[in-house]
Amino acid sequence: MSRASARERMGALLLIVPLLAFLAVFFLWPLWTMVRASVVDNTVSRVLPRTAAAIVSWDGQGLPPAQVHKALIEDLRQAEDQQALGETVRRLNSAVSGFRTLLTRTTNAVRDETNSGAIDLGDLDRRWKEPRFWLALREAVPPYTDRNLLAAVDMKRDAGGAIVSEDPGASANRLIMFRTFLVAAIVTLACATIGLPYAMLAAAVTGWKRTVLLLAVLVPLWTSLLVRTTAWFVLLQNEGLINGALQVLGITDGPLPLIFNRVGVVIAMTHVLLPFMVLPIYSVLLSVPRNLMQAAASMGAGPLRAFWRVLLPLSLPGLMSGSLLVYMVAIGYYITPALVGGANDQMISSVIAFYALGTANWGLAGALGVILLLVTMILYFIYGRLSKSPQLLGA
Amino acid sequence: MQPFIQFESVSKSFGSMTVIDSLDLTIHKGEFLSLLGPSGSGKTTILMMLAGFERPTRGTITLDGMRIDQLPPHRREMGVVFQNYALFPHMTVAENVAFPLEMKRLPRHEIARKVARALDMVRLGSLKNRRPSQLSGGQQQRVALTRALVFEPRVILMDEPLGALDKQLREHMQLEIRELHKRLGLTIVFVTHDQSEALTMSDRIAVFNAGKIEQIDSPHAIYDTPRTRFVAQFIGETNLIEADVVNVQNGHATIALGADLAAKVRSGPELQAGQKALFSLRPERMRLGAEPAGDNSLGMTITDCIYHGDHMRVQLARGNFTFTARCERLAGDWTVGTQVVVSFDPRDCTVLTS
Amino acid sequence: MFRTAQTFFGLLVVTFLLMPIVAILPLAFTSSVFLTYPIEEYSLRWFVELTTADAWRLSIMNSLIIGLGATLLSTVLGTLAALGLRTKALPFANLLRTMFLLPMVVPAVVLGVGMQMLFVNLGVASTYPGVIIAHAVLCVPFVIVSVSASLQGIDPSVEKAASSLGASPVKVFRRVTLPLALPGIISGAVFAFATSLDEVVITLFVAGPNQRTLARQMFSSIRENISPTVVAAALLLIIGTLCLGGLAALLRWRQERIALRAAP
Ligand SMILES: Nc1ncnc2c1ncn2[C@@H]1O[C@H](COP(=O)(O)OP(=O)(O)O)[C@@H](O)[C@H]1O
Ligand SMILES: [Mg+2]
Repeated sequence: MSRASARERMGALLLIVPLLAFLAVFFLWPLWTMVRASVVDNTVSRVLPRTAAAIVSWDGQGLPPAQVHKALIEDLRQAEDQQALGETVRRLNSAVSGFRTLLTRTTNAVRDETNSGAIDLGDLDRRWKEPRFWLALREAVPPYTDRNLLAAVDMKRDAGGAIVSEDPGASANRLIMFRTFLVAAIVTLACATIGLPYAMLAAAVTGWKRTVLLLAVLVPLWTSLLVRTTAWFVLLQNEGLINGALQVLGITDGPLPLIFNRVGVVIAMTHVLLPFMVLPIYSVLLSVPRNLMQAAASMGAGPLRAFWRVLLPLSLPGLMSGSLLVYMVAIGYYITPALVGGANDQMISSVIAFYALGTANWGLAGALGVILLLVTMILYFIYGRLSKSPQLLGA
Repeated sequence: MQPFIQFESVSKSFGSMTVIDSLDLTIHKGEFLSLLGPSGSGKTTILMMLAGFERPTRGTITLDGMRIDQLPPHRREMGVVFQNYALFPHMTVAENVAFPLEMKRLPRHEIARKVARALDMVRLGSLKNRRPSQLSGGQQQRVALTRALVFEPRVILMDEPLGALDKQLREHMQLEIRELHKRLGLTIVFVTHDQSEALTMSDRIAVFNAGKIEQIDSPHAIYDTPRTRFVAQFIGETNLIEADVVNVQNGHATIALGADLAAKVRSGPELQAGQKALFSLRPERMRLGAEPAGDNSLGMTITDCIYHGDHMRVQLARGNFTFTARCERLAGDWTVGTQVVVSFDPRDCTVLTS
Repeated sequence: MFRTAQTFFGLLVVTFLLMPIVAILPLAFTSSVFLTYPIEEYSLRWFVELTTADAWRLSIMNSLIIGLGATLLSTVLGTLAALGLRTKALPFANLLRTMFLLPMVVPAVVLGVGMQMLFVNLGVASTYPGVIIAHAVLCVPFVIVSVSASLQGIDPSVEKAASSLGASPVKVFRRVTLPLALPGIISGAVFAFATSLDEVVITLFVAGPNQRTLARQMFSSIRENISPTVVAAALLLIIGTLCLGGLAALLRWRQERIALRAAP
């Protein structure tokens, strides 16, 4: 490598470093924080460090050895952060009910000045003679856990540590994921059904007709997403324009339920995502020489067969990238389902937002986020492979 | 030869612009007809009407006595070679060539056999599984040609098919197409704006200007006896001089080129004494010498000599009257300023009266 | 027959695409509190509400502050990086480019959750700098795409000509590259501003009540208690983005004309 190009390279690196650093700190680090939150679980090990260290030597048979008892007593005596202790109690109680009273009583006992001598936990509370409490403790101390990731797909570890399905009815994450993929698929299908012929039409006509068809796609793309969602919110209401028109035309008697249900979500999302389908197909079709169809006709192919054998195969790459794009964006959608959908139309994003904003359950929010992120990245990778230039539309 | 394709008073307008104006054209079976003309003269439009991609605004087109101008393109059985080849990018060479045969719903084994034979004929057998993008320009051209031939269409239409090739390859393909035309007895309508291409390949040439046929004739006739000023100027190089017909006598005429210059020319029945006329003489038909020879000999002065490798181009003048001559070499002692005698045969002169 | 069906289909889809946006806008001028047709009486009361009610006024101010901040930050960082990405000798150029575009791909909620956790730890949650940084992350891809496109349109021989005429590399950049790339930089900035203006999800996670943006305010008022103020705000946003979009289109058009004129 010559000196000149080495200098050029240095210069280029200097230009890139600021953005690289910025994105590393404010884009990659947040994502990493979220991934960590989904697998790190130090609530218990932070409050009970000695116990955590000691209990690993216990094989889980019978009751743990005496030094574990001693370590626990010492930990409870030393624990100063009341909030952290409270979290630990909550965490353990959710594993085995009864832990709350047990720990509260034990803590009070070991802190009692009069009990400064050796304490026998079994004497203090008979429950310490039951292995299940100790097992739950042993379960809770490792700093890494797959509990959240399992819970995200409605699974858990049973008392023996085997992975089993959550009781039906206890959680609905799998259902919501299924719903997310289903709604995204319906929207993708709707976009493809409308978008493919529309793009073909736009590529076939010329002059002002083409301008109108393209503007109709670009103006919504340019319009704020929130404005478009507001528009559908207003239009789809029972007293909205669509129901009004249907009744005036005598097509329906009463208002059709269009909002706060699946129909509304699909209509609004199709509207929002249609441009992402039309534009890739259109740009692929533009690069198809016009006279390919003429060539096909000159060799005896009628319009239908020329379409089937020439135009459709050639627009397939556009259809593929458009579909991937729409699907990828659709599975991460939040605003439109949140505003137009009902309780039964919420998608993964809404659930993540609920856990993060509503109940501050970071672990579960993170675990669901990891799943959504993973699926999106896989789709993006395929998209990048298909369309060579890894750029999204609208930019 | 019976008329095979006939255009009868065909006009074509795009909006208010008339591109083809009342065209009559007959194409014979088995002939190689070139449509030659400057860009924008309507050649492609004619080809597109023949192939069915454009409908005539007025007039009729018949093929073998049947009207075809309302027939959709896919029913016309015309093989078209497009300027940019229009190969299907998503199909291999073999699939491209098989396409028209599949449209005819031929049995599979027969398609395979025909495709293999056709590809072998143009020496593309080894490339049959490549995509068009993996071929050179010349190879793409041959695939396009093969694809247009393989289904034995009634006519082959080519729109400047060699325009994108470099000179050497173009000349090679000209020979190849000519050879195929002879061997298979094809009827070919060939659009070009390259006169030498038209002259070397065609049985007949139709010279177009602004949507009208100026002249339709054999290459020989087009070159040697152009019938309009446009044709004389567009094809080859010529000396054009405004002249007056002095007298006409048993097949020959005398015309005055200037005050003291006259030339004897071969004359048709249309020339009459006293007419204004246009005198045309090709540079290569002049001989330069020291002595007068033959019917026409003019003393002139050399004003410039331009060396072209295989020939020289000599500018000659006499008063304000100039000629360009072309000769293979000059006699050793001639330079600018030398007086020479220019002589030419009356049969090599053309006189246009319109 | 086929042509009629085509025309009908085209009209239908165009209506589907444009009708919602067009149909709600008149409702901004209703005097009623309900968002229904027919409009009995026209008034500007919702615009008055938009500009006087504290919550709305504050949110408009916030949108402008945060939007300008995020635009500035992302345009500077993105333009520098786009210039760097142009160098052929750069290793991993494709990987870097992909990484710079990722914020456009990662679901907003996912990024929002991560940012909220991190920003709380870093102490920038619910602060203006925090929200501006979060928005800037989302804006960067638009700047990169736009600036890269305009840089790609620069004929390298123009820069070579400048240096052959005696311009130093810095001069070449200041006098040739930058002026030619400027329309792309400006249109990148416009995209960035529009993106920030429209951003809701990340704002939901990282902004406190004091950083409520217009989009965020619209989101919650649609959720809780929709009133024609939301439509008035929507009209404001549409006019804003259309102006910005027109500006970007104009710049792009001018750039194309320059490119055309420069072509031989
Ligand atoms: N589809 C069309 N619409 C409008 N004008 C056309 C169209 N096709 C051709 N023309 C016009 O018709 C004239 C002849 O074109 P063309 O047949 O392509 O000429 P050539 O092939 O001889 O160069 C040109 O002036 C061209 O602009
Ligand atoms: Mg042409």
